[in-house]
Amino acid sequence: MPLERPALGHGVGLRTQHFPSYLSDPPPVDWVEVISENFMSSGGRPRAVLEKVRGEVPVVLHGVSLSIGSVEPLSERYLADLARLVRWVEPALVSDHLCWGTHRGQYVHDLLPLPLTEESLDHLVARVGQVQDRLGRRLLLENPSSYLRYRDSTMSEWEFLAELCRRADCGLLLDVNNVFVSGKNLGFDPDEYLAGIPADRVGYLHLAGHTDRGRFLLDSHAAPVPEAVWALYRQVLGRLGPVPTLVEWDDHVPPLEAVVAESRRAADIEAEELDRARRLAS
Amino acid sequence: MTLAETQALFHAAITGGEVSPAALEACFAGTPALPAADRVGIYAEMWLWRQVEALGAEFPAVRACVGGERFPELCRDYLRAHPSEHHDIGRLGRRLAEFLRLHPAPERSDLGDLAELEWARSEVFCEAPASPVGREALAALGPEEFARARLRLVPALRLLSLAHRAQEPWRAAHRGEEPTPAAPGPAYLAVWRAGHDVLHAPLDAAEARALEAALAGAALSEVCASFAAADQPATVGFAALSSWLDEGWVAGVEVVEDPNRPAGAHGALAPIEV
Repeated sequence: MPLERPALGHGVGLRTQHFPSYLSDPPPVDWVEVISENFMSSGGRPRAVLEKVRGEVPVVLHGVSLSIGSVEPLSERYLADLARLVRWVEPALVSDHLCWGTHRGQYVHDLLPLPLTEESLDHLVARVGQVQDRLGRRLLLENPSSYLRYRDSTMSEWEFLAELCRRADCGLLLDVNNVFVSGKNLGFDPDEYLAGIPADRVGYLHLAGHTDRGRFLLDSHAAPVPEAVWALYRQVLGRLGPVPTLVEWDDHVPPLEAVVAESRRAADIEAEELDRARRLAS
Repeated sequence: MTLAETQALFHAAITGGEVSPAALEACFAGTPALPAADRVGIYAEMWLWRQVEALGAEFPAVRACVGGERFPELCRDYLRAHPSEHHDIGRLGRRLAEFLRLHPAPERSDLGDLAELEWARSEVFCEAPASPVGREALAALGPEEFARARLRLVPALRLLSLAHRAQEPWRAAHRGEEPTPAAPGPAYLAVWRAGHDVLHAPLDAAEARALEAALAGAALSEVCASFAAADQPATVGFAALSSWLDEGWVAGVEVVEDPNRPAGAHGALAPIEV
């Protein structure tokens, strides 16, 4: 079933540092994305902020601890918390990561990559189905930033994602920065990646900054979106057309105005690319 | 390797387990510029860094006391003893106070109490909301009803019974001053949320005993008995109850037929010894 891509526009991640701004003077953003786990508790300021924001703009729930690829059973506690949050927030989209992050009941709080094998694919198809049945809605999975490749992998990440989306009937959250970072770290061509992903499964995009650590790029979310990632974003828009886009900034978080400015730049670039496409077509 | 074997190896490699370089090379592909072991090391570094950051955010005063250089080492020891078992990284520090009491830092036996205070503040910050009642809720009771009534306290309220005056290094750390070791206690602290702000304040032993009784669901007659040793027990007790109502600690006053029936509104607390 084709994925219905909501016309959300351009958003930013809702972060604790910016709570006072959201409470006093709502920023000019089309939508916000929240880290699901940060809002699963009962009350307090986080819940109050989200209650206010969800009345003003669409909200997307983005999880970091589903651990969809772990070999151990999905956490019933987690699924119950997520289902409760989904019922309350009524999000436009629900996403998590193509990764694993639990082992023997322990959380590593990181997004660990999976070997890209038939075994992993079978495992993920079943697990995504379990989550989607539980939530009663489609799940979107984000391509992670990777720093290593498994010797057992038998397919590329884009081939894996395409097959996963087809078999599990799930969506894709395409992180443009992650494509760039993983391409540098693993030595693949981002153009080939973008050509291989299933365009009709992409629900929304992430943009973020990274840090050059010399021997590798670190997906730090600690800086403005680099020019190389903006360039890749233009390519994505050329292939996909208008897509909801979100700017993430999680470390060395600047004032909200700076993050919103990045989001506005994404909106301007999208307008330029759509205009260019129209002119070429005519 | 199976997916399960791969994940067991990866998990051990990043959390400090025993993994041979040959096993890493067999599982992961590296390059001359960035060998497989170094690539796994990136994840090991992130595993620690992310959790150190999370613990530092929950326990800024403990971090200030320990020092920025020693804090990651403390976190690593803590994580080995108590790895995360909850999907919310904000719950990571649930057992830090217990850990610091078992493994006190040199010359800082107060850090367990300081961690307990910071953890209580963190919990209260996210507790479920409740609408408090005012003094009129008590004023409406007749004398017989008063003795049998119980207070239903708001969820965002904690009573701490500490061996040190942990509020002292907490205050110093939050003012950017040198957080010198806390004076010995006992110290009783109430921690609660007012609006979106978390507050804490010291209580004397009688009021702490009364609040402990109220949290356990005792009837007001028993709560007020905590003030029996005061010069003017009724006046002191009334003042304490009034202040609880004024601070928004009370979500309801309920008159029950059998005051001996345990209400069980809150979990058990450590007994307060006076």
